[in-house]
Amino acid sequence: MSISKTDTTGAQTVAPATIASVRGLKVHFRSKAGRVHAVDGVDFDVRDGETLGLVGETGCGKSVTGRAFLRLLPVPPGILAGGSVMFRPQTSCGGCGGEGCAQCGGSGRRPTPCPTCRGQGCPDCQGTGAETLDLLKVSDKQMRGIRGDRIAMIFQDPGKALNPTLTIGEQLGEVFLQHRSVDLLEEAGIDSGESGFQAGALRRLAGQRDRRTDRMAAALWPPLRRRAQSVRQALDNRIAAALGETQIPNPRNIMRSYPHELSGGMRQRVMIAQALACDPDLIIADEPTTALDVTVQARILDLIGQLQAKRGSSVIYISHDLSVVRRICDRVAVMYAGRVVEIGETDQIFNDPRHPYTKGLLAAVPTTRTPRGKLAAIPGSVPELVDPKPSCRFADRCAQVHAACTASDPILSAVNPGHDVACFLEHPTSPKTEAAE
Amino acid sequence: MANTNIEGAPIRRRQDSALRVRLRRGGELLGLILSNPTTVFGLILIFGMLGMALFAPWLTQANTPDPYQMPRDWGALRMPPGTPGHPLGTTNTGGDVLYGVIWGSRTSLQLSIVVVGVTVVIGTAIGSIAGMVGGKVDEILMRIVDVFLSIPELIFALAIAAILGPSFTNIILSLCLVFWVKYARIMRAQIILVKQNDYVDAARVIGDSRLNIYFRDILPNAATPLVVQATLDMGAIVLIGATLSFIGLSESGIAEWGVLVSEGQAGIASGRWWASTFPGLMIFLWALAFNLLGDGLRDALDPRTESRR
Amino acid sequence: MTDMSRLPTPEQASEAASGSVLSLRGISKHFPIRAGALQRVVGHVRAVDGVSFDIRPGETLGLVGESGCGKTTLGRLASGLLSPTSGGSYFNLDTAALSKLNAAYALPEDARAAALAPLEAAHGIATMPKAAQSRFRRNCQMVFQDSFSSLNPRHLVIDIVGRPLRVHKEASGEALTERVVELLEQVGLGRQHLYRYPHQFSGGQRQRISIARALALDPELIILDEPTSALDVSVQAQILNLLNDLQAERNLAYLFVTHDLSVVEHMADRIVTMYLGRVVEAGPTRTLFDAAAHPYTRALIAAKPDLAVDDPQVAKFAALDGSIPDPARPPRGCHFHTRCPVATPNCGWELDDIVRLLERSEDLFESLSDVSRHSDFAGELAFEDEGSAERLAQALRSDATPASMRSAMESLTVDGRTLRVRFQEVGEVQLSDRGPDHIAACVIKDA
Repeated sequence: MSISKTDTTGAQTVAPATIASVRGLKVHFRSKAGRVHAVDGVDFDVRDGETLGLVGETGCGKSVTGRAFLRLLPVPPGILAGGSVMFRPQTSCGGCGGEGCAQCGGSGRRPTPCPTCRGQGCPDCQGTGAETLDLLKVSDKQMRGIRGDRIAMIFQDPGKALNPTLTIGEQLGEVFLQHRSVDLLEEAGIDSGESGFQAGALRRLAGQRDRRTDRMAAALWPPLRRRAQSVRQALDNRIAAALGETQIPNPRNIMRSYPHELSGGMRQRVMIAQALACDPDLIIADEPTTALDVTVQARILDLIGQLQAKRGSSVIYISHDLSVVRRICDRVAVMYAGRVVEIGETDQIFNDPRHPYTKGLLAAVPTTRTPRGKLAAIPGSVPELVDPKPSCRFADRCAQVHAACTASDPILSAVNPGHDVACFLEHPTSPKTEAAE
Repeated sequence: MANTNIEGAPIRRRQDSALRVRLRRGGELLGLILSNPTTVFGLILIFGMLGMALFAPWLTQANTPDPYQMPRDWGALRMPPGTPGHPLGTTNTGGDVLYGVIWGSRTSLQLSIVVVGVTVVIGTAIGSIAGMVGGKVDEILMRIVDVFLSIPELIFALAIAAILGPSFTNIILSLCLVFWVKYARIMRAQIILVKQNDYVDAARVIGDSRLNIYFRDILPNAATPLVVQATLDMGAIVLIGATLSFIGLSESGIAEWGVLVSEGQAGIASGRWWASTFPGLMIFLWALAFNLLGDGLRDALDPRTESRR
Repeated sequence: MTDMSRLPTPEQASEAASGSVLSLRGISKHFPIRAGALQRVVGHVRAVDGVSFDIRPGETLGLVGESGCGKTTLGRLASGLLSPTSGGSYFNLDTAALSKLNAAYALPEDARAAALAPLEAAHGIATMPKAAQSRFRRNCQMVFQDSFSSLNPRHLVIDIVGRPLRVHKEASGEALTERVVELLEQVGLGRQHLYRYPHQFSGGQRQRISIARALALDPELIILDEPTSALDVSVQAQILNLLNDLQAERNLAYLFVTHDLSVVEHMADRIVTMYLGRVVEAGPTRTLFDAAAHPYTRALIAAKPDLAVDDPQVAKFAALDGSIPDPARPPRGCHFHTRCPVATPNCGWELDDIVRLLERSEDLFESLSDVSRHSDFAGELAFEDEGSAERLAQALRSDATPASMRSAMESLTVDGRTLRVRFQEVGEVQLSDRGPDHIAACVIKDA
């Protein structure tokens, strides 16, 4: 995959509205009891520059779906059982160099042109002219290039996601060395055309491909040492800038500290800095504020929103907290038992929920208006997803269950423009398409 | 109440009982242990050797007056395996190797059961006191443990046995004095870990006594690593016991594998391999068997596998 | 407080309240910090520092605050799991005894002991006779947050729920089984669950088992330590409804410890807000949500996302600056002044606040070489070079420093490489009356 900033000359890219689309994603886990269908046919699109909320209760498959984007699944028990996650990486806009212009709609980014047709439109890219990768099928090497660079992840527990034995600076530096070594060398005044041992050693050092001799030379040979230090300087500047952007006070001091020396909110800022370091196209935030106090949560949510607006990245925000999702998301997908049961604009979901599960979830949250002891609880608990039968997964907890619900699978179809629901109450004539598959 | 039976499962007609459920659970656990072929192999070996120990008087003619002394056939010194009356050959001093192998299993069993039994009890008691009482008591007990641990087990046991004088009983005694330390440490660490569980606090809120909480909540949940360690040590102790016997800290002439290996080793150079090899093989199999079982137990009793079910 | 037909108004509550189930007075818990090879005590974390409140029969008292504010420790102190470093907890006081207790605590300290003695002997958790202590144990139960860890994995449900009955010799054999079934049915489980292990249940069901165990001895008070924060919303709603139903049936009092403002608003009659080990505000739920007197309570409430607000734009994020200060060295005056959006010069600005400011700036902190204190409010900061001292002085006089902090400085002089500074001395902020049944610890009185 190319991340180069050039090559858009003469390319006529049709800007697609979606940056990623998930189709029929299935992730299964092997267990003693049988095959657990943790994610079982999930479809949704992520539009360019939007924040998509993925909400649902424990075990609904929302985190697994998020992790599937980066293939971060425990491989022995987890099986990618089918479907696709198509992703269109972006590149800095050629017209304005990332400043934002009419050509790119002000975002400063545009889709990477398809390598086969150079953006002219061909069968490979379905005529869009944009490079489209199936994240489930790309090579491991390509995936490593995408992780942290084009797609980044913010984890729920920053205490666990940060390595306790490395300083913050070392961990953040890793990202730049992995994906931005060319820029670092450029900033340190090392020309890409330069050859010889010095340049080679510096390149290897900056690309984390250093040999023992390189390290020895950098330590002992003064000219190389000076130049290695200037690379180091460039790296430190980048790290400090990344930390500074997340409103961490005194970033140079923080760089030298270890994760345990920071508070939870601070650690989450570091995680966000790490995720945003390479200016990714898509950020997957998996419950980033669940471990934090409300007052800190508000700050972090603000921060994510601001940074996203500034950079025009798209965000998949995974959360169980409906009120948070409502605040920050443009669109919301409600998941239940491995399926998306309802997807739509935030307003549509919260003001006009159609699926009984969505309605139930909304009613179950205590609000100022609910009388005490009269919360509308959904009876029962989430079903076990071991070899499920073709029926609505919500049927056994649903108050409006009828014959069709237990006979076949409802599929997502539109009730309003942009608002899809998988429920037989909305689509009484739904054909048994799923059963045929 | 608004929300009654949330499971919605039909009430079972057949009367369940605590005993039946516990038996079923025990059965499940046994099934889990037996589902691992290497564990089963270890168990077969152990049962084989236990059988050998149990039926020793029927397998061979017991020596009189003390069956644990090797019978001497002064007419058949250094005979190779296959000699009539001596299927595994004889030693330098005319001892029947087969007799030594069979009655040696009794000695080894005695050694490991006594040592493991005594040390587990002592270690559990001391570790429990340290972990439950804490503070100064814990501090003092653990410093004592540290002193013991700073000397290698084998050397320590060797020194004690040497001071007490060469005899098999003294080997048992010296091993008892050395081995409890490990259990005390494991137990203390486990108890401190288990004590943090909310169910211990829940029992205190109910008003249960400390002793009750220890026996009902803490000890059963802390015991697993100790059981695994003890199983592994059943093998290790025979190895160490054999080592001590080998270097002559046991009475000579006793039917014990280490002693036999020791007495036979002089002959290996001149081609008389059998006097050392067969008892040596028994030591190896014994240690292997308990290691396999210990590993199997560890996998089966691991709380992570428990919660997965 | 939304269901007006069932719940008395605050005024009625304070009149009708027949004493208290549990009263805490000046209760503190300090954990020693040990360091070095000899594990010498180098300081104390004041997890709970002089907290007083009453839990009245049949009411739900919400205890809220951020993580690390001491609310969980306080819950454990109330349940008797931890013994306090100082202060007392008193159980089962009738109206007369409660007023005697309050009178005793109004006395100066030297006279207090004598007045307290009879109350201590009859009601003090640590000092009352054995029989009364056992009665307290039966009447004060607890439900924990983590339903995995709060049920012994090796015990069957019948053993777990029946255990309190066995311990207090209430029932055995067939009678015990029947009592346990009864309890399980009350929490929405049934006879079919008797002989199962905890790991066979879902999180919500395990929490029901915990509640059944707490109900077994028919207590008057249950301490709920974040009982629903590990649960999903739909299951949380089930448990909250169950807790409400049980309270109505049995006239239970709850001490509801939680960080979730939405839940506490839904559940509590009164709320106590804690910050860094102290109560900063206490009052009826509606009063606190509509007119909180302490800026910290207001910040907590504002930060709470609420689904009921239709327009998400209306609910502006209210966020607090900075993080919670080190509880081993809490700020002077009002603990909250370091993060307070409406701090005044009288809030307890001190030398440490300058150090906190320094930590946020890059190079100044590096060149700080020594801090010598005359008191918490006055001292000298020595730098490695004169420029740094001067720059700090400028920063302290500029807008980079909160205005209230600037006005709290009585003097600020640079003398070569040292910076002398003195703040006005301020005592601790006391809780004061703000309305019926409503107290707050804030220097701003007319908020």
